[in-house]
Amino acid sequence: MNVSNLTKYYGKFKALDSVSFTVDKGWVYGYLGPNGAGKTTTIRTMLGLLKPDQGEVQIAGVNPTNNPVNALQHVGYAPELPTLQGFFTGEQMLDFMGKMFGLSTQKRKERITQLLDLIGLKEWGKKKIGNYSKGMVQRLSVALALINDPMVLIMDEPTIGMDPEATAHFRSLFTNLSKEGKTIFISSHLLDEVQRICTHVGMINKGKIVFTGPIEQVLETFTQQWAVEAELEKVTETIVSSLKKLDFVEDVKVDGNKLMIELKEKKDMRGEISSEIFKQKGVLLSLNLHKITLEDAYLRALKGGK
Amino acid sequence: MDALRRVAVIIGYEWRRALAKKKILALLILAIAFQTLIMIGFSQLVGTIFLTNEIKPFMWIYGVLQGQGLFVQLIAIIVAGSSMAEEYEHGTADILLSKPITRVEYISGKFLGGFSLLAMVEALTTFVGVVLSLWFFGAQSGLQFAPLMFLAIAYSSLIFFCLSFMCSEIFRGSTLAMLLAFGIFIASTVIGAILVSLSSLSGQHLYLYLSECIPTWAATSFPSFLMSELITAPSTALPVADPETLYLATTIIAVYTIIFLLIAAYRLLKTDVTKKTA
Repeated sequence: MNVSNLTKYYGKFKALDSVSFTVDKGWVYGYLGPNGAGKTTTIRTMLGLLKPDQGEVQIAGVNPTNNPVNALQHVGYAPELPTLQGFFTGEQMLDFMGKMFGLSTQKRKERITQLLDLIGLKEWGKKKIGNYSKGMVQRLSVALALINDPMVLIMDEPTIGMDPEATAHFRSLFTNLSKEGKTIFISSHLLDEVQRICTHVGMINKGKIVFTGPIEQVLETFTQQWAVEAELEKVTETIVSSLKKLDFVEDVKVDGNKLMIELKEKKDMRGEISSEIFKQKGVLLSLNLHKITLEDAYLRALKGGK
Repeated sequence: MDALRRVAVIIGYEWRRALAKKKILALLILAIAFQTLIMIGFSQLVGTIFLTNEIKPFMWIYGVLQGQGLFVQLIAIIVAGSSMAEEYEHGTADILLSKPITRVEYISGKFLGGFSLLAMVEALTTFVGVVLSLWFFGAQSGLQFAPLMFLAIAYSSLIFFCLSFMCSEIFRGSTLAMLLAFGIFIASTVIGAILVSLSSLSGQHLYLYLSECIPTWAATSFPSFLMSELITAPSTALPVADPETLYLATTIIAVYTIIFLLIAAYRLLKTDVTKKTA
């Protein structure tokens, strides 16, 4: 999938501002951003539901706005908190979607059985969707996205509304699908989820991409320093000033009996720090190296800094 | 072939969606009950000056036409008014249009699905009208024209079906679409009646011509005009229409239908798919 220079206005409001990124085959691409950042707008434009004011999207080399039939034939899409047609049963809904993709009767039958089993709704297949819980609708929505055995899977907050067991099940499903060579694009608020299953990350804020790249790179890019968190029995001025004098220490912040010692380099200096604290007669209760998490990187990226 | 298959899938979907709505079934039952009551009423008038024995063999025409005036138009407005709009309201348009289908195929399937359902309702009310007339008034004349009558009713219902369909796509809200289409139907009926009265009072034909341009004139008169052309017996008491009037009504229906459909298609093709609105 190639999104290039995508710009979208809602009236005078610029919802997307020259958004560009590429998602290659086999990647699990996590798309992060706060509410209203432009995540769903990006997805809806990628699917041809919105017409971009500038730029274009290509899925397997085809523009979905101009040629939805070819571009979307191998794409599965699960929208955020979908409302499915309540008059269908789960099986009928899957069958209808299979028909939309031109699957044969036999193929549809096979896929419906497989997918209902996969999403844990085997017993609910013959019941009307109107009777499903939110989590069940969400699960069915993922199954609908998989009915055509797509090469590209686009999901907007796919595990929202699911219970923890189902969430874990679906995360492992997405990982397995990516191992099969499928390209997965996930928009999510759940940073932990993204960190666990994604190979690449895109971050959007106020309609602009602030980062796109491999997940290791995002952590590297948004951290120039590590920090050591020290908990002492009592923090004294002598301890703080002596720590500040160490040549590898950038700054020391005090919070009650806790110290956040920011390091100049990405090195584990806990040994040197504990020695210095003991030298100053401090009693150390705990000492932890504070590496950056995706959440830290995400928050820093949104602030526009590194 | 693939395009036709996709349109057929949407037609099937539209049938299921519309039939899941209880108000359409309720209106259909109401229309048939109304037809039955009217025929019972008519049967009491046989032999009086209101319903002479000469009209009896043609009562099937009235049996079929009486439901068409209000109920069929109302069903047309309800079926079409929800057709496009409800998909936006529920957010299901996103799911449907993110599949490998063009917007032209989608709107074609929606239109054909809704209209074929309406035609089925009209076929049923035509059948019921014929059966009731045979039951209450005995042998009927000109029944070979009943299929044509059905086609004329279906054709004439295109105006308000397409008007409501257009409103459904423009406003993307089913209640607003139906209210607007129904409001235009009522306003058009009233204005038409006023113009006809003005014409007869003033003797100016301009008012009459204007009344003929109003959608209800062609929508409600076309089937009876066609029948008066086909069944020439004066005892039918149908409004007399010359071939030119029939041609004018045919053209007016076609023009309104094409305009409404083109506006709906333009709106869908040129604008974004609205996110869930309800």
